Amino acid sequence: MFAAVPLAAYVEPFERAWRHRELIRAVARREFISRFRGSLLGPAWAVLAPLIMLLTYTALFSITVPQLMAGMSIADYAGGVFVGLIVFQLFSELAYRAPMLLHEHVNFVKKSIFPSETIAWTAAIRAFTYSGVAFAVFLVFRLLSAGWLPWTLLLAPFLIVPFALFILGVVWFLMALGAFTRDVAHIMASIVPVLMFATPVFYRLEQIPPHIAIWLRLNIVGDYIEMFRGLALDGRAPNVFAYLALTAVSYAVFLLGFRFFMRYKSVIVDVI
Amino acid sequence: MSSEPIIRCRGVGKAFQLYAHQNDQLKQILFGLWGKFYKEKWVLHDVTFDVGKGERVGIVGRNGAGKTTLLQILCGITRPSRGEFSVNGRIAPILALGSGFDVLLTGRENARIGGAILGLTKRQVESRMDAIAAFADIGPFFEQPMRTYSLGMIARLAFAICAHADADVLLVDEALSVGDEIFQKKCEDYIAGFSRSGTILMVSHDLAFLKGLCDRVIWLDEGAVRESGDPATVLDHYREAMLAAQ
Repeated sequence: MFAAVPLAAYVEPFERAWRHRELIRAVARREFISRFRGSLLGPAWAVLAPLIMLLTYTALFSITVPQLMAGMSIADYAGGVFVGLIVFQLFSELAYRAPMLLHEHVNFVKKSIFPSETIAWTAAIRAFTYSGVAFAVFLVFRLLSAGWLPWTLLLAPFLIVPFALFILGVVWFLMALGAFTRDVAHIMASIVPVLMFATPVFYRLEQIPPHIAIWLRLNIVGDYIEMFRGLALDGRAPNVFAYLALTAVSYAVFLLGFRFFMRYKSVIVDVI
Repeated sequence: MSSEPIIRCRGVGKAFQLYAHQNDQLKQILFGLWGKFYKEKWVLHDVTFDVGKGERVGIVGRNGAGKTTLLQILCGITRPSRGEFSVNGRIAPILALGSGFDVLLTGRENARIGGAILGLTKRQVESRMDAIAAFADIGPFFEQPMRTYSLGMIARLAFAICAHADADVLLVDEALSVGDEIFQKKCEDYIAGFSRSGTILMVSHDLAFLKGLCDRVIWLDEGAVRESGDPATVLDHYREAMLAAQ
């Protein structure tokens, strides 16, 4: 399927995003400004919310000692859950929001010359910024409690980029589908919580019997969580082949999502 | 008038897909190769015209004649179902004024986004911000959230942004009727000045205004060009047809 596609198609999404970078920047700014307008603490919430969550989990696990810990210390287990949650929440926030994105921006899309594919970028920028802040909170917490951070953290950008591509592909796909029927939003609201339990958020894949784990590895979000945990907690760089395979799949999702969206872009304006 | 047209329209038609049920749209996406789940409603049939550089062309027609759809096609907001068109130059669409604004943001912040949509860089917008504020002339409201604005103030700001977008082609859709007389005068002056360097296509129901400003008027009727030519002649015919229809 990819053989028939001209080379330019592989970079087209980036080329278009670059051409509209000023617009993406302006709209992303708007996302932050309008979110904090009228709130007393404003941007502090981006730090407070993950901090409260992190403390809650640590406190909770130190009381209940879940079976899932499997010999890990409370701090390690809570840290693992927290990293899992940051990654999964990033995915789920966008999965919930994506089907409604075009409806949210209907005035832009219908009433002005607006490159609607950029909405995916601005939504992703917002989500990744929040997750980045949460991750920074986690690192500070970790540094204070464990006293050190693994060097493999420096590899994080290599994981973040393909993950962002994967997310963008998913958002484009859901955005286009969601424009046609509001059912997509309801579908996402019912399958994302289910997906959470099929994702190694509260457990680790190695605790799962191999014949089940092999299926769970098909869950791309879960693979990213495992790799992020390796980098941030265990000081373990991902397996090169697993990493390259994951990157290739993510890039394919990115391209297919973009092509799907662009194919229906002109129809969407008429139906939304 | 130059020989190379700025706006070129050849047999442009537009059909909207009408769905009996909302979910038929999804069926169309998933199973569109095997069946058709909508009815077509043609709002434009066959529109052919040229606009040369520096021309001021007015469009008249009854509600539903396809005027707004035509402008939307020329802007690239929606795609024609058949026919072809081209626009050579940068477009500033003054369509439904200010509809892209965010009511929580201030006028200044909305101007940044509006400018970016029109293709200006951040630096260009910032350097023109004072001129935009002066043109909009809404005083301290420029720094206030847009939910405190009146409709007229929103229109003023929107027009001010479009007026500073370095456009080659101005597409105006019945936008000027909102502001007060002073602002309307300002807009008319701007449009008159703009036509010295740029090209204008405007939809209006204000026939006297079109007569005074346009070099040519196109009468759209039920999705096709009924008449095109000298403003006085076409507008007279249009007026007669309107009176006869009553």
